[in-house]
Amino acid sequence: MIKKESGFYPLVLVVPALFVFTLFTIVPVLMSLTYSFTDWNIMRMDEPEFRGLLNYQRIFADPIFIRSMMNTLLFAFSTTALKTLFGLGLAVLLIKKVPGNGLFRTLFYLPCVLSATVIGVLFKAILTETGLLNNGLQLLGLGFLGRDWLSSYGTAMLSVIYIESWMWSGFNMMIFIAGLQAIPSDYMEVALIEGAGRIKRFFHVTLPLLIPAFTVVVTLSMAGGLRVFELVYVLTNGGPGFDTQVMNTYSFRAFSQGLLGESAAASIVLAAVVVTISFMLNRYLKSREVEL
Amino acid sequence: MIKAKKVSQVILFTLLLAISLLYVVPVIMMSFGSLKSQEEAIEFNLTPPKEAQWSNYAHVIERGKILNGYKNSIFLTSVSTFATIVIGGFAGITISRRRDRISSGLYYYFLFGITITLQIAATFSLLKTLNIYGTYLSAIAIFTAQRMPFTIMTFTSFVKGVPRDIDEAAIVDGAGVFRLYTQILMPILKPIILTNTIVTIISVWNNFNVILFFLNSSKKATISLTIYNFFGMFARDWHYVCAALVLTILPVVLVYLWLQRYIVAGMTSGAVKG
Repeated sequence: MIKKESGFYPLVLVVPALFVFTLFTIVPVLMSLTYSFTDWNIMRMDEPEFRGLLNYQRIFADPIFIRSMMNTLLFAFSTTALKTLFGLGLAVLLIKKVPGNGLFRTLFYLPCVLSATVIGVLFKAILTETGLLNNGLQLLGLGFLGRDWLSSYGTAMLSVIYIESWMWSGFNMMIFIAGLQAIPSDYMEVALIEGAGRIKRFFHVTLPLLIPAFTVVVTLSMAGGLRVFELVYVLTNGGPGFDTQVMNTYSFRAFSQGLLGESAAASIVLAAVVVTISFMLNRYLKSREVEL
Repeated sequence: MIKAKKVSQVILFTLLLAISLLYVVPVIMMSFGSLKSQEEAIEFNLTPPKEAQWSNYAHVIERGKILNGYKNSIFLTSVSTFATIVIGGFAGITISRRRDRISSGLYYYFLFGITITLQIAATFSLLKTLNIYGTYLSAIAIFTAQRMPFTIMTFTSFVKGVPRDIDEAAIVDGAGVFRLYTQILMPILKPIILTNTIVTIISVWNNFNVILFFLNSSKKATISLTIYNFFGMFARDWHYVCAALVLTILPVVLVYLWLQRYIVAGMTSGAVKG
C-alpha cells in the first residue's frame, strides 16, 4: 500500500523545481568553484587555464580584500547585536498594554517592506553634509558634531550599521513578541509566588524561554549581515577609500573590472564564511534551547 | 498603586513616541521635500513647503521613467511569484506525500540551498552560455531558483498536517494527479500559498542586486533600479528625488497598511519555520 501511495505522486512534478534550482543555484556555485582555480577573465572567457590557488593567494594578499572581510564580519556581528537588542527592547515595551500599541508596531515594522535601495537614497538626504541630521544638530547647538557622515572615515561604517539595524529591528520585534506571547503564564505565576523580583523574573524566566526566538533572530540577522550588498552599494559604494568595502561589493568590483577568477574566488570565500558561521551559530543556539 | 501604574504608562508611551520620531522624521522630510522648490528642498528641514509644487511629480513621472519601472516590476514580480508557487508547491506536495528515500534526499538537497550565496561572475557566465543574459527570463529564473528552498520547505511541512484520507477519498473517486493537486489540495493549502506569495512578492519587488548585475538596462529596469538611476542623474535636485521616493514608497506603504495582518504574519511565520 505504501509503495502504491508513493507511486501516485509522480516524481516528474519535482522535476521543474529541481531543474530551475540546480541550474541557477547549484551550477553557479560549482562553476564558481572551478573558475576560481583558473586565470578566467573577461578577455578570455572561453579558455580559462588552470592556475591552482593563484586567485586565492592574490585576494588574500590584497589588503583591500582583507579589509572587506573584516568589514563584513564587523558589519554582520554589530548589526546582529543591535538588531537583536533593539528588537527585544521594542518587544518588551510593546507586549504591555499601552495606548497606540498597534500603531507603534505598524510603524516600527514598516521599513522591512521597503527596499534597501529606497532606504539608502532616503538616508543620503539625511546624512549628507548639508543634510537633515547636521541641520538638526545645529539647532541643538551641537553643530560642531556635524560632518559628511557617509564620506568621513569611521562614521560611514557606523551610519551603514545604524541604517541596517534601524531597518530590521521591527522584524525582530515581531518575532520576539510572538515568542513572549508563547510563554505559558504558569511559569510567571510560580516565579511570582516564589517572590522573584521583576529583573530576576526577566533574566531567569523570560530570557531562557525566549531562546528559540533568539535562534531565529540571530541566525537570520547574521546571514543577512554577511550577505550585505545593496545598502553599502547605494550609500557609500565601499567608500570613503575602502572603509565600508564588504565581500559582496568586493566581488562585484572585481567582476566589473573583468577579473572574473578573482571575483569567483571572493564569492567562494564568502560562501564558506556564511556556511561556517551559520552552522556554528545554529548548533550553539540549539544546544541552549530549553524544552517546554 | 493605580497611580503608579498610570505614571509608568505615561513614561512608556513617551518613550515609544520618542522612538517613533526616528521613523516618522525621514517620512516627513521626504513628503514635504517632494513638494518644495529646488532651493527650499536643499535646505533639508522639516518645515512645510511654502507653496506646494505638484509639478515636481509630473516632472518625475515624465523624466524618471517611474511608470516604466512599475510596469517592469509588476511583470517580473507576478511571473516569478506564479512560477514559484506552482513549481515549488507541486514539488513540496510531492516530496511530502511520497515516503521514499529519493524524496527525503531531494528535501535535503533543496534545504541546502538556504545557505547559498549569489555567485556574481559564474551566474553571469552561465547566463551568457545559455544566451539569456539581459533578458527578463534570466531574472525570473534566478528569482524562482532562489525561492525554491523556502517554498518547498514550507509546503512540505504544511502538507504533512493534511490528512492523507483526503487524497485517498479523491483517488477512489477517480481524481487524477493534476485534479488532486490543483482542485483538492491547493484550496486546503491556501494559508501556506498566501505566506509564500507574500514573501516572494516582497523579495522580488525589493530586489536590486539581481537586476543590477544581470538586467542592467534602463528599459528593463525595475522600480528599485529606476530610483537608483534617477538619484544618480538628479542627485542635486532633491525636490525631484523626494518626489520619486514618494512615488516609489507610497504604493508599497498603502498595500502594507491594507494587508498588514497577512504580511506580518506571513513574513514572521516564514522566518520562524525557516
